[in-house]
Amino acid sequence: MKNLQFITVQTKPFQVYRILLVLALILSSSSCSDFVEVPLPNSQLTGTTVFESELTANAAMAQIYAQLRDGGILSGLPTGASVRMGLYADELQDYTNSTIALPIYNNALTADNATVASLWTSSYSQIYNANSVIQGVENSTDLPISVKNRVSGEALFVRALVHFYLLQIYGSIPYITGTNYEINRKVTRSSADEVYAAIAKDLESASTRLPENYSSSDRAKPNKMVAKAMLARVYLYMNKNTEAANEATTVINSPIYAWETDLNKIFLRNSKTTIWQLASATAVRNSNEGTTFIFVSGPPPVCALRTDFINAFETGDQRKVNWTKSVNTGLNTWYHPNKYKLRTATTSSQEYSIVLRLAEQYLIRAEARAKLGDLTGAKEDLNKIRTTAGLPIITSTIATEILSEIQKQRRFEFFTEHGHRFFDLKRTGSVDEVLSVSKPGWNSSDILWPIPELELNANPNLQPQNTGY
Amino acid sequence: MKKKSFLKFWTTTQLSKLYCILFLCFFAGLNAQTRSIKGKITDDTSTVPGVTIKVNNKPTTAFSDENGNYTILAAENDVLVFSYLGYKTIQIVVADQATINVKLTEDATTLKEIVINAGYYSIKEKEQTGSIARMTAKDIDKQPVTNVLAAMQGRMAGVNIIQDGGTPGGGFQIKIRGRNSIRLDGNEPLYIIDGVPYSNESIGSTNTSTALPSQASPLNSINPNDIESIEVLKDADATAIYGSRGANGVVLITRKKGKSGKTNISVTASTAVGTATKFVELMNTQQYLSMRKQAFINDGIPISDTDYDVNGAWDQTRYTNWQKELLGGSATINDFRTSISGGSETTQFLISGNYRTEGTVLPGDFRYIKGGILSSINHTSLDKRFKISFSGNYTAQDNLQAATDLTLTARYLAPNAPALYDSNGNLNWENDTFENPLAPLKSTYRANTNDLVANSVLSYELLPGLEIKSNFGFTDLKTKEVRTIPSTIYNPVYEVGSDNSLLYLNHTSRQSWIIEPQIRGFKTFGNHKFDVLLGMTSQQQRTERLFQSGIGFANNNLINNLASAITKNTTNSDIFLYRYQAFFGRVNYSYNEKYFLNFTGRRDGSSRFGPGKQYANFGAIGAAWIFSKEKFNPENSKMSFGKLRFSYGTTGNDQIGDYQFYDTYGTTGTNYQGIIGLQPTRLYNADFGWETNRKLELALETGFFKDRIFSTLALYRNRSSDQLVGIPMPATTGFLSLNANLDATVENSGFEFSVRTLNIDSNSFKWSTNFNVAVAKNKLLSFPNLSGSTFANRYVIGQSIDIVKLYQSKGVNPQTGLYDFVDLNGDGSITAGDKQISKDLSPKYFGGIQNQLDYKNWQLDFLLQFVKRDNYDYISNVPGGGQVNQSNTSGDAWQQIGDQSSSQLHTTGLNGAAVSTYYRYIESDAVITDGSFIRLKNISLSYDIPLLATTNVKCKLFIQGQNLLTFTSYKAGDPEFKFSGFLPPLKVISGGMTLNF
Repeated sequence: MKNLQFITVQTKPFQVYRILLVLALILSSSSCSDFVEVPLPNSQLTGTTVFESELTANAAMAQIYAQLRDGGILSGLPTGASVRMGLYADELQDYTNSTIALPIYNNALTADNATVASLWTSSYSQIYNANSVIQGVENSTDLPISVKNRVSGEALFVRALVHFYLLQIYGSIPYITGTNYEINRKVTRSSADEVYAAIAKDLESASTRLPENYSSSDRAKPNKMVAKAMLARVYLYMNKNTEAANEATTVINSPIYAWETDLNKIFLRNSKTTIWQLASATAVRNSNEGTTFIFVSGPPPVCALRTDFINAFETGDQRKVNWTKSVNTGLNTWYHPNKYKLRTATTSSQEYSIVLRLAEQYLIRAEARAKLGDLTGAKEDLNKIRTTAGLPIITSTIATEILSEIQKQRRFEFFTEHGHRFFDLKRTGSVDEVLSVSKPGWNSSDILWPIPELELNANPNLQPQNTGY
Repeated sequence: MKKKSFLKFWTTTQLSKLYCILFLCFFAGLNAQTRSIKGKITDDTSTVPGVTIKVNNKPTTAFSDENGNYTILAAENDVLVFSYLGYKTIQIVVADQATINVKLTEDATTLKEIVINAGYYSIKEKEQTGSIARMTAKDIDKQPVTNVLAAMQGRMAGVNIIQDGGTPGGGFQIKIRGRNSIRLDGNEPLYIIDGVPYSNESIGSTNTSTALPSQASPLNSINPNDIESIEVLKDADATAIYGSRGANGVVLITRKKGKSGKTNISVTASTAVGTATKFVELMNTQQYLSMRKQAFINDGIPISDTDYDVNGAWDQTRYTNWQKELLGGSATINDFRTSISGGSETTQFLISGNYRTEGTVLPGDFRYIKGGILSSINHTSLDKRFKISFSGNYTAQDNLQAATDLTLTARYLAPNAPALYDSNGNLNWENDTFENPLAPLKSTYRANTNDLVANSVLSYELLPGLEIKSNFGFTDLKTKEVRTIPSTIYNPVYEVGSDNSLLYLNHTSRQSWIIEPQIRGFKTFGNHKFDVLLGMTSQQQRTERLFQSGIGFANNNLINNLASAITKNTTNSDIFLYRYQAFFGRVNYSYNEKYFLNFTGRRDGSSRFGPGKQYANFGAIGAAWIFSKEKFNPENSKMSFGKLRFSYGTTGNDQIGDYQFYDTYGTTGTNYQGIIGLQPTRLYNADFGWETNRKLELALETGFFKDRIFSTLALYRNRSSDQLVGIPMPATTGFLSLNANLDATVENSGFEFSVRTLNIDSNSFKWSTNFNVAVAKNKLLSFPNLSGSTFANRYVIGQSIDIVKLYQSKGVNPQTGLYDFVDLNGDGSITAGDKQISKDLSPKYFGGIQNQLDYKNWQLDFLLQFVKRDNYDYISNVPGGGQVNQSNTSGDAWQQIGDQSSSQLHTTGLNGAAVSTYYRYIESDAVITDGSFIRLKNISLSYDIPLLATTNVKCKLFIQGQNLLTFTSYKAGDPEFKFSGFLPPLKVISGGMTLNF
């Protein structure tokens, strides 16, 4: 009967009220809407705050340069254009045998190829970030006008640059100038002429905004000359030869740059011929290109220069000696590009990834002059390149010969530099003639890459797909 | 457990009744004709406290104490009725006995008397208005598994679980009644461990967790053997009280607690062996080489100097079954656990510890170690009005695995590839022609995870029928993941130095707390019963992540030391705060224990939404009618139980991640000239809110022959709208998705049937069967402007959201030797627009059948799991003819015009057209095959060693098996997978012993 004690226990009223009071306090203590409002995370800033100070505005641009360096078309990694376009044209041979690289090398691309998608996606991400900077700067009330000009000039330059490469690879593309997704999700493709016009306009605008001098060390951020150098190339591609020659002249005459006759110094971090380069990720690392291309034993891990390319060098061309290197295993010999000579880190970085350099300005001007009938001027510029390469000067007086020699020099001067070779073959109309010989898988429709399949699905306004896919 | 929950039940709901009974009992004791009878009540294993002893036809009642002893006043001709939940009721005539000792035997048919945990409240199974599936320690303990989700596979109707892989520490895919959200990662149920929400969001990082197909699952921290019961809440009635987080169901995990009575010590030790289940059937050397040579002939090119497999560099007759060689090992698993429990009537305790090691099937010294401790204490004041309970468990895991799963390598390697080791026992690089597959094993993944889950519940009965209560919970999870890539994974001839070695680090910690004060009242007016609950929740979860990497080390021995790295990067350093607040309530009304009405509601606020979108209301109504109690069903009818129940209501889903409504720039950790980059985090949209899920259910529960056959048939229909989704965006927007509520509705409907039968029930032999099956249908009900949206090529209105859209294969064209496809959109060429054949990859039906047989000292229990579904056939992702081994079915390839073959011509990769058609082929209906299977998921045989009755020691020997047999027509390896190319779940055979004293 011990259980009977249960009945005898009395409720102590004061305890009850005390507990009820505590409960009521807990229930009413926090105003509910306050509790579920959380502050911004420690690693983020609002879009407006970023453009209230030069430091954070620079950080937004720094991200874009890092993006260009670490991914997308300009990256020196195996996924960038230097490798991909080299494989697609007749510079490089693939040794990865991967499902991604092999179809590129075999000119057997499909619209669902990972590189087809990744170059497109990362480029438009870079463009979005540039547009976001352009808008942020425009709306900023706190940034001084000089900073506004510089930062928006940099962003405009990047926007034009990336669109330029997209145009070369995919053909007519949408030119994106804003961040509104309601507009950008439904965009249509603009014709090549329209895209070129937009690129030129952005570069003109950038060149008026950018300062004469570099705003950071190592020519790693664009100045006015960078925009002009790019403009020279764009005008050349647009066949606006007078403008191309003029812009190139401005750059060549700029006291910032000086010609370099030692081929082994051209790709150094402090090279005088560099117009714009992308700084490496840390103070000890060197270029991505060095890591990607250089190998010390065979078979090559990523790619090697094609034998027909190596054999095509003119006898005596010092670029073959200084800018390529052979690796021999007794049975086989492979060649890798050796413009950048450092594969791994050094005590301090000695090589950065060069995007624009003086030699191109000479060859742009040579081509433009030749097309305008100024053969003497053209040869002058052309021979500057030939002489540096240890080759005798050209004396021909026939325009077509000179133009063809310019293209030849472009091939050996700019190999494995962001797809120059393929783009030159395309714009000179010789792509089918050349690649159908050296590439068994080549078809005329391979002149353009397909628009990524996912992209066509996501935005049917981008239809139709490029021919052949 | 049964005893415990019963105690809890009557102390909380029947206390007022108890007083009456005790009072009457007291007066009954004064009756001169009666005398005191005493005795002890036991069952198979120990004494049983809390048993009701009633004198038939008299109000006299008593209960057995913590030692199973009882005393009751009864007369000679009285009949004593001993009853206890889960046991058969026994009637004994007093006669002249003064001591009546009783041994109770378990009664499988009284299971519906079981009290079920519904989260904020408990309810008798037979009175429940909602849909709740349940499994208990009895079934969990028989399985040699480390993750609680593995233990649930095949046992609950409508709960579909797929294990992501056989590497320890990995995750699971769980869908309760199908996929509600178009968002791929928005379909997780809510996990509650003893009242504490437990986040199942991954704690891994993509840079480190490369060993696992999906990122590490935090649920590995919960030791399955510490679990007393798992309840899965499925319908609106059961889940609406969890409001915004109930849309995908709720999994309630209740840990074991101490029981009053003799102190019990239990020790279990077991050893197991795990092996891979099934391999893909690949080509042998002869088939492979003939395929390769044909490819060169087809492409019209000579065999090159790098085609070592066919150019003579490698032995042309050598054959290795690489799957066997690289994945065919056996993993040793050791498990040791012990527990001590006991207590008095007012205070009970339990302390248990476990330690487990698991090896690997890969060649190498990889292992998984887990150790944990659970302690639990409950106290009830003498007057039974104040109660406090505390449970805490701490688990440490140490997982060391190869950073890369070798499954794909094993499938791809040429069958004539050279030996792994040279004659000196060093890694063989075969004169630099062979990428040795063992070299990547030097790159390792190591995860250390420590996890604490603690909770405490305080309650006080203010007045009879009025109780206040608060739940306090705390979780603290810390994980450190390290992946190292030493330069030694490369062939030394490449001269890759330690300055290229890599280290990736992930430190993630997550703390959460929750406070849930509640007040509950219940009152009976005649046949009317009311039970009312009101409460609120405040919860905070803080996650801290630090992802770092180091590149370049002076020496590979320093690779684990970030400070030694030449270059150090911090890629993420974030703190995420998630706050959550809710008010909830429940009103339950019943009439005459025949009609039940249950209203639940919740008002929820979540920090995951922007201003003005944070709060929303959810609610449900449930009703039940026990028609077997109606007059038309006589008391001795064959139908012993019959109930109809119905529920309807809304729940929500807030699984969208934190801070998504902010327009921000985030730091990226990327360095450019000493400046760390900032970039836009996402496309800005603050205007999104909850995903709403409306659930409807109708169910019939029936019992026949005194419930020896008990079945539940449930029909349900769930509709999920305002889809909270990352809407795919074209890349031209700068991002690939946008967070927004998509005005689309997804419907999951189906029926679930479960039945338990007691087939034979004699003294020495008992046989019972549980069967469950779920037939489920998923359907995209509406989607405004689907054809103009970015989803146009993914979904079809009226079809499942688990469909894949494919080309229609016409087989191999005898003229061209290439795969042909049907030009479904009639535009004259095969383009992405021709992917119009849809195949549903979600299971059509699935379930399990479990049999339990007891014969004297032997117990046999086995579970067959069955799944009817389509799945991808084995795809190598490389066209036949390349330097990759293929399924042995692709040997019959086209060679010349007129050939009728199943595989297209081989190519080394040079034939662009063939490469294109191959990639279309693997996205065509030809690669979808029947992936159905029946699997002996679990089998357990145990034997109680007969020992002298006088000793208190009990000893049980057991053999258990997991995934032992699989019946399937699927040829491409193990049929149970979600992510192809990873080690499938292992086949495990375990043996061990349990001692109880």
